[in-house]
Amino acid sequence: MKRTMLAVALLATIATCTHAATLEQKVVEHTLKNGMKLLLVERHTSPTVSAWIRFRVGSVDERSDERGIAHLLEHMLFKGTTTLGTKDYAAEKPVLDRIEEVAQALTAEKAQREKADAGKIAGLEKQLASLEADASRYVIKDEFFELYSRNGGTGYNAFTSRDGTTYLISLPSNKLELWAAIESDRLQNAVLREFYTERSVVMEERRRSYDADPESKLWETFVASSFLAHAYGQPTIGWMSDIENLTRSKAEQFFHSYYAPNNAIVAIVGDIDTTATIALVERYFGAIKPGKQPPPVTTLEPAQAGERRIELLADAEPTVIMGFHKPAISTPDDYVFDVINMILGSGRTSRFYKKLVIEKQIATDIGAFDAPGHRYPNLFVVSANPRAPHTAADVEAAVQAELELLKTTPVAARDLQRILNKMEYEEARRMGTNGGLARNLTEYEATTGNWRYMTEQRSKIAGVTPDDIMRVARTYFTRENRTVGFITKKGGDK
Amino acid sequence: MRRLIISICFLLSTITAVCAADFQPGNPRTMKFPELNFQIPKAERIVLECGMPVYLLRDTELPIIGVTAMVRAGSVYEPAAKSGLAGMAGSVMRSGGAGGMAPEAMDDELEFMASAVESGIGSDMGTVSLTSLKKNFSRTLQIFRQVLLHPDFSEKRVEIARRQAIEGLRRQNDDPKDIAGREIHRAIYAGHPLGTVPTFESVSAVTRQDMIDYHRSFYRLDRMILAVSGDFDRSELLKELNAVFGAVKNSGAPDLPNIAQPKQQFQGEVLYGKKDVNQTVIRMGHLGLTKDSPDIYAVRLLDYILGGSFTSRLTMEVRTNQGLAYSVGSHFDIGRRFTGSFIAETETKAESTAKAISLMKGIITDLTKEPVSDAELSAAREYMINSFMFGFTSPASIVTQRARLEYFGYPEGYLEQYRENIAKVTKADILNAARKYLHPDAFKLVVIGNGAKFDQPLSMFGTVRELDLKTTVPK
Repeated sequence: MKRTMLAVALLATIATCTHAATLEQKVVEHTLKNGMKLLLVERHTSPTVSAWIRFRVGSVDERSDERGIAHLLEHMLFKGTTTLGTKDYAAEKPVLDRIEEVAQALTAEKAQREKADAGKIAGLEKQLASLEADASRYVIKDEFFELYSRNGGTGYNAFTSRDGTTYLISLPSNKLELWAAIESDRLQNAVLREFYTERSVVMEERRRSYDADPESKLWETFVASSFLAHAYGQPTIGWMSDIENLTRSKAEQFFHSYYAPNNAIVAIVGDIDTTATIALVERYFGAIKPGKQPPPVTTLEPAQAGERRIELLADAEPTVIMGFHKPAISTPDDYVFDVINMILGSGRTSRFYKKLVIEKQIATDIGAFDAPGHRYPNLFVVSANPRAPHTAADVEAAVQAELELLKTTPVAARDLQRILNKMEYEEARRMGTNGGLARNLTEYEATTGNWRYMTEQRSKIAGVTPDDIMRVARTYFTRENRTVGFITKKGGDK
Repeated sequence: MRRLIISICFLLSTITAVCAADFQPGNPRTMKFPELNFQIPKAERIVLECGMPVYLLRDTELPIIGVTAMVRAGSVYEPAAKSGLAGMAGSVMRSGGAGGMAPEAMDDELEFMASAVESGIGSDMGTVSLTSLKKNFSRTLQIFRQVLLHPDFSEKRVEIARRQAIEGLRRQNDDPKDIAGREIHRAIYAGHPLGTVPTFESVSAVTRQDMIDYHRSFYRLDRMILAVSGDFDRSELLKELNAVFGAVKNSGAPDLPNIAQPKQQFQGEVLYGKKDVNQTVIRMGHLGLTKDSPDIYAVRLLDYILGGSFTSRLTMEVRTNQGLAYSVGSHFDIGRRFTGSFIAETETKAESTAKAISLMKGIITDLTKEPVSDAELSAAREYMINSFMFGFTSPASIVTQRARLEYFGYPEGYLEQYRENIAKVTKADILNAARKYLHPDAFKLVVIGNGAKFDQPLSMFGTVRELDLKTTVPK
């Protein structure tokens, strides 16, 4: 009986909570003295909270001899600190140092490839295995995960992209101090133990995500071929030989260069008290010294001067990807591309879907999006699966015809209005989950410099005219600016 | 009180930074937390004039309304010779126009309102869902009703759905993970509708009339449950729902076709599919249990300890200690109407294929021999109990969860007693569950990769049957 009454009371609570506030009204900003940016939103729908930390560092910031390090470091930052993940760091440290010496010698010897000394490699491998076994005596495996889980934490994870690296967790809202304690410790005292085993895990991740999946392999090849100079071309996970040559020392150096509070954006969304949460973050993170501001990537991709065509032979049915270079996020033309994306590729009323999937039935699915990152000039991409007997070439021609149409025929007012209506809905919808909102706040703050991009995008898009669309289409959808990647079936008749 | 101290500290610290200097960080291992008042949110259950149950939860945070209809249908009820019928029918209910409204007109009107109506049929449930801004709800609800009750199954859209399904079949062997996922289910559910997969022949045999008949026989008002959440006015909503579904009690639905449970025969089998890739996809498993078993709580804890978490035995050994895989784990899919499955899975480089399989089988076997440790049990138990509230983070998830419990006939109080039931499980219960539900000698083992590069021949695990992965398209 008591239970029923409580339930009724709760229903009433949810039903009478405050009426729809805008995002602008809900977000509280606070910047710590050391430069850490904090974005807070109170949502009391459930007694839970999501906390996301975004570092403004991704694979685009890597030098050529450390490709893959941003992502491997992200894995390594789950391994603990000087006090967590270890039974006795003082005793563990000398063993870790020995491991690093031996592993570096082994990595250097293996890098000689065919000239390497097989006997030396075998000896070093044996030595490394024995040292790793020794070190493992001190390790408390995945203690961060264990602590979060015991306390009901879910979705503990991290991801690395070209543009950034993000660490996320959702917790019961009374446990936020656990997050502050673990994450501030990780930022100051991370220990990259078990490095060389984790490097093998990342190689398996690479095999799983790229090598053995034809569509992803085409994607990786396509992006790499689209950028000759800019680091957007290199895969975030790194090429296999890059990963093989990463060391703990390189990862530590990268960590110290980029993981400073002034390079971090934190979003905390959920059942919180804003004032108390700011105080909590101040207490745990406030005393951390700021680091140097990392330099931006200065390489500019030279203008593409001719079409590039990339073929991948694979044991798979054909797929086609087309890309055109375009400016970075929140530049004037980027808003025009937002409109073009939606007109061509969003939903059942999009031109690609209506023309290629329903009318001509030459593709089963087709989409348009921006990639591979947003901070720097990127690509407008169209990706489609042809429907047999139609070919990748048939699909490419039909896509090209739609792009040509955009150059010459003004888009109807109703099509533009549909986009604005969709954005109105999306603005409401994306406030509906703690994690989703934290994701958007950190992403846009990091890539555009201001989370308000989320609220301003619609008015910018409302200013896009049919003439703008024709101009942008004519400027960017040119033959010389185009890269086309496609899978040809191995042993097929082409 | 605690909050007050924090606030005072904050005021000082922003001005003088005194607090930061004296601050001692809490120890994550021993940290204590304030009490949290969590009560399981309830949705209101009402019954429409036509007899349809509706779960309601009003939440005005966002000007959005969501509706889901759950319908007693499913691909298990389709004949094997027409495998694919239910999935295609579910899709064409939405894509093929409804209530006389042409497909293009419906797409245009919905997308102009930024509303969505979607339909699909899974193995044991059909769903039609709606989301819309509050201001467009009434009109979107009209379209939702037509899709749910009066789909037109346009001939052209039926044909497009078939052609798309055929193209999907052509592509079904492109990604080794897709192959392995399909084949392990076929092996576990051999001879049962759950183990039947669409083929070129079965998809080609489906007619528009089959879809109409399928819809007519399953999509009845007395076989549906509705879940509604968001920014609605309760009395207006009820008025609208009653107007949309009418007052006629649609009763006397014939019983659903009686589909037998899959046969409980445990017999090992090794299936190999050749793909020229540098990483092998491994799946192993057999039948599991249904939600009606009293062992489900012990099995959930067993699941977490064995392969359901980042600190599970499988992940700890195969990934963290040995670096043999990025993704490794296992899962008891607890069946709702039909016996569920247990599947363990990983992907590892070709050269460590046999090593990984042996390691995983060994870890699974260990659980049937010795009880788990106290530390493992408490970690699993605390996670399940403390994270329970994440099942209730949005009004939509709360109402659909309630509707789903009724749809599948979960016992009264299932959610309310869930944490208690988890807390009661002992190490002996978990050992018993492991012995009852894990039979590593009887695993169906599916291995997709390049056998020439494996560290040991697969025959060490039993007689190998090679899968035919050639896609032979008729005509």
